[in-house]
Amino acid sequence: MNIIELKHVTKRYDDGFVALHDINLALEPGKFYSLLGPSGSGKTTILRIIAGFTQPTAGEISFNGQDLTQTDAAKRPFNTVFQNYALFPHLNVFENVAFGLRLKQVKAKDVQAAVKAALHLVRLDHYDSREISALSGGQQQRVAIARAIVNQPQVLLLDESLSALDKRLRKEMQFELRAIQKKLGITFVFVTHDQEEALSMSDTIFVLNDGEVQQVGSPVDIYDEPVNDFVARFIGDSNILPGRMLGDFEVEFANRRFKCADAGMGMNEKVEIVLRPEDLTVVVPEQGKLVVRAQTQLFLGDHFEIKAVDTEQHEWLIRATNSVDLNEPLGLSFKPEDIHVMRLNESQAEFDARLEQYEGASEDEK
Amino acid sequence: MNKHTWLGKIYLWLVLILLYLPIGYLIFYSFSSGRNMNHFKQFTWLHYQTLFQDNRLLAIFLQTILLALLSGLIATAIGTTGAVMIDRLQQKRQQKVFLALNNVLMVSPDVIIGASFLIFFTALGIQLNFGSVLISHVAFSIPIVVLMVLPKLKEMDHTLVDAASDLGASPRQIFSRILIPAMMPGIAAGFFMALTYSLDDFAVTFFVTGNGFTTLSVEIYSRARQGIDLEINALSTIIFLFVLVLVFIYYLLTTRRFKKNGKIGGVIK
Repeated sequence: MNIIELKHVTKRYDDGFVALHDINLALEPGKFYSLLGPSGSGKTTILRIIAGFTQPTAGEISFNGQDLTQTDAAKRPFNTVFQNYALFPHLNVFENVAFGLRLKQVKAKDVQAAVKAALHLVRLDHYDSREISALSGGQQQRVAIARAIVNQPQVLLLDESLSALDKRLRKEMQFELRAIQKKLGITFVFVTHDQEEALSMSDTIFVLNDGEVQQVGSPVDIYDEPVNDFVARFIGDSNILPGRMLGDFEVEFANRRFKCADAGMGMNEKVEIVLRPEDLTVVVPEQGKLVVRAQTQLFLGDHFEIKAVDTEQHEWLIRATNSVDLNEPLGLSFKPEDIHVMRLNESQAEFDARLEQYEGASEDEK
Repeated sequence: MNKHTWLGKIYLWLVLILLYLPIGYLIFYSFSSGRNMNHFKQFTWLHYQTLFQDNRLLAIFLQTILLALLSGLIATAIGTTGAVMIDRLQQKRQQKVFLALNNVLMVSPDVIIGASFLIFFTALGIQLNFGSVLISHVAFSIPIVVLMVLPKLKEMDHTLVDAASDLGASPRQIFSRILIPAMMPGIAAGFFMALTYSLDDFAVTFFVTGNGFTTLSVEIYSRARQGIDLEINALSTIIFLFVLVLVFIYYLLTTRRFKKNGKIGGVIK
């Protein structure tokens, strides 16, 4: 049973701007979901529609099968952690966390216990009498989480909740958020523009662009099998080259033929090839499948980032553990399964169908 | 550089002395035993004694304060609601129109407001008494309250409203638990401004006051026409001290609030 479902949700603003086109989402209970996309992709709008702050122009949202579209935000069993935390400045930490419980007229003794437990969960014991202005960004973030989870929501919505923190704190909070989610066992919907954040925390990622879902999948699926140009470029760095299918499991790009792991496309069909920079290995030119010349290299601590050009003047981004000699021929090696083939204008549904078809076929051969 | 700050200080003191000189002069002669302010004769409390025996003047003094408090409270309530409504208007243009209409009332001369109220009351056949004065005082205090409260709403983070509703607050609870605290400094400032506007006012009151009711400013004006009595000086001194205390209380309230918000570290239980 899906805990939240969005069916054909569209949002059009008064000025004619369409923020969301026909969004369909199904969220299962107890999982960590991320809505990932650049700014203006509609990810926050989806969150606001789930929370009930924004009404969709068309479509419906349901919770455990019940229609919630007309339900007021105050009556939805979800709570939100806002991007700027939206803590009440006139109340101290305890009263901020207790706000929701006080509205429900919970007994004072129970409020005390629940707030203590929530503050303990976010590791803010003994902070109850502090003023909000006396807290650091990370602490405010935790108060915001405590304020949301103290109401025992079925779903926790997080709107770019880590973007205001510095890098180290953000990493720490990523681990903590994931731990809190596991502990509570409730559904998290996390909105972010940071692909690393989404990849590291989520069970499932929805990649959004221009108000449409581009791809849904586990972090590994999305990273390894991007369905289109946008997803490939947005998630991680990639080398994208034009290519041509020569048949099943054989592709041509950079004027050479390669074995690959994709099939089910037409003969001579034009495609795009994605090669991740970390899948490329630098070898001596004789052993390389391709020969390139390095133009620049950056030392980034744990690896070198090398920009190289092949004989066809395609730019290559390579990640290597050792430095290379600039302007000398270098061989590049990669495995057939590192080559990812994208069909032009293929939707995710078509992609999945094709994958099923030829993966089934190759299993039959065995 | 040094010379400049020195000159600046002299300038500031000069202006302040000039502004306070007439008031000081008035206070000084309230202790003179003479009948006028031509020269100081002898120190005396006599004028204060006659003032405290002048029941009519004391009654008017209390009436004036009652009027100020009442009109201040009503104007604050109406003005605050109005500010919330203006803030809620979706279209920026509508907001601007309302704000402009509000500001026109702020700058239009008291004489015009007073005269128009007089015409209004006589046209409707409303008797000129405490009620008519109260209505007009409320009316000219509302714009200043709106002007004081609206910026607080503008600078308030509107996601606070979303957050409260997300936590289950009804519109009424949002108003009382989120909006009122956010507007509180503006409401307090608006109330104090309305108070001083009402205490201050002569022109409007002069038009709309009737037989049964009068305020201090109108009373002092009518007495001054028959030659200034030093009893008025004594009364002015007392009002001046009263205002001084009010300003001091206001100062204390605002600085304490500031300290509370600005403190770093906080107390750990």
